[in-house]
Amino acid sequence: MRTRAILRIARLSAFSRRSTLVLTLAAIALATALLIGVERIRHDTRQSFVQSVSGVDLVVGPRTGAVQLMLYAVFRTGSATHTLRWSSYRALADHPAVAWAVPLSLGDSYRGFPVLGTTPDYFAHFRYGDKRPLALRAGRVFERPFEAVVGSEIAKRLGQTIDSRLVLSHGAGNDLLPEHGDKPFTVVGVLAPTGTPVDRTVHVSLESITALHLDWAGGAPLPGVNIPPELATKFDLTPQEITAVLVGLKQRSDAFRMQRFVNAFRDEALMAVLPGVALDELWDTLDIFERALRGISVLVVLVSLAGLVATLLAGLNERRRELAILRSLGASPLDLFLLLACEGLLITAAGAAAGLLLVTDAAWWLHDALRSAFGVELSTLLPSPDEAWLLAAILSTGLLASAIPAFRAWRMALADGLTPRQ
Amino acid sequence: MKIPTLALLLALSFNVHAAGGHNHGVGKLDVSVDGEQLTLELELPLDSAVGFERTPKNDKERAALADAERLLKDAAALFVPTPAAACTIDSVAVEMPHAGKPSESHEHADIDVRYVFRCANPAMLKSVETALFKHFKRLYRIEARRATPAGQGSARLSAKQAVMTW
Repeated sequence: MRTRAILRIARLSAFSRRSTLVLTLAAIALATALLIGVERIRHDTRQSFVQSVSGVDLVVGPRTGAVQLMLYAVFRTGSATHTLRWSSYRALADHPAVAWAVPLSLGDSYRGFPVLGTTPDYFAHFRYGDKRPLALRAGRVFERPFEAVVGSEIAKRLGQTIDSRLVLSHGAGNDLLPEHGDKPFTVVGVLAPTGTPVDRTVHVSLESITALHLDWAGGAPLPGVNIPPELATKFDLTPQEITAVLVGLKQRSDAFRMQRFVNAFRDEALMAVLPGVALDELWDTLDIFERALRGISVLVVLVSLAGLVATLLAGLNERRRELAILRSLGASPLDLFLLLACEGLLITAAGAAAGLLLVTDAAWWLHDALRSAFGVELSTLLPSPDEAWLLAAILSTGLLASAIPAFRAWRMALADGLTPRQ
Repeated sequence: MKIPTLALLLALSFNVHAAGGHNHGVGKLDVSVDGEQLTLELELPLDSAVGFERTPKNDKERAALADAERLLKDAAALFVPTPAAACTIDSVAVEMPHAGKPSESHEHADIDVRYVFRCANPAMLKSVETALFKHFKRLYRIEARRATPAGQGSARLSAKQAVMTW
């Protein structure tokens, strides 16, 4: 009964001073949104990267950096600067420890989406998330040159369906790239959504990639040479070079030995990366940035709560009379303490709730942009257990902070507010 | 913009890691699980094991090498896989440097050990704990990597954090 009365008075009293309190509330909301937002982006980035590779034991490419190789071979961001020879791929695929090896050839694009040249084996062996295979939503896997299988997002965004025609661009980018206009592709399959970079990829056969570049040299069409698509298929379309290889092993325990074998490969400077190990090492390196970022957001929350304390303390002066009247009506010093503490808690809770709403809203709006720019899938829309802990921490710190003005109110003498001032 | 910058930063840190050099005090451990077989491949700098790297010069140093070899063969004392997985040691192969032929004294030397365990209940296998830090005081870090049915990963083991979990 008493608690309800105190809560009611706290609510009404706060409402009458809403103009100043709303600013404090907004500060708390923004700070909460920042803290939760940082946490979500961290979590979802890891999640979407981990989801994108599963069931691949090794990623093999030309000797660059492990992260660079992972970025273009698996996440299709960044660009490949070197290639590896087809003969190296054959040697790898024929190695007795290797169960399957899927070649990847990157470099062309379709309206900003990456084009991946590969073999039909890709669809058989590629796994994402919890070892889930790729599924076709419509159509079939490519069989001949100039056939394409598109990811679900491309299909949705650009309205591609079976039998749509695609004209690929040479290189990655937008409008100003030279086009492969003489050799259009036909969409023969559309993949089901995966929430990974596969959704944003146009898959074609390796032979198509070779055929596209038959009459090209040095990144531009050869003047005066034009090999029509019907004729292009008559050439030997075995690629000379590819960008990376995804490798599955017969025995998982061979992964480390196989990595040493690839790193010491005689014919060409190659490197092999264990994708899961590389990601763990990546998080390890990122850890310090993440901690810094989290530290800053925690500080911002503390600053906003300090603002709350300042507002409540300043409010005490104008509320002398109000509090004195409450006392004269029978409220004990403890009641006044609770009144102030409740007010602080209410504002913190409202601020935290608004912040959560804000970050969820922002995630909703930024979802697409983040996915196409960084390949990061924002999956969490509801607070996770970790976030619940953060929110609880914000609330208890808010309560603790409002104990300062509450203590002042408790100490205020009854006579204090009733004596007329000069 | 963000990713290339990060990639650049990381590429730098990675190359250090990938160089796979020899670092005194830092061991390497590769853990893999295939069916019921748990394989641990350990690379231990000789200096971290016995305190010197050259070919043994006297009886004391020869004895230190022999001790280290005996200790490294005792898999059960050095590695504890998740007890519930009921793993027992199947084979140990220790490769000591300077075995027989004297080598150049300036070269780095490593001890390579391969442990194979058989686990009756591999589904329960979720961790491996090592007592290497207790026995080799000069060893202060192990760069561990794993490839298990749950996926791949890496961890940095130390005397304080001597368990790799997955």
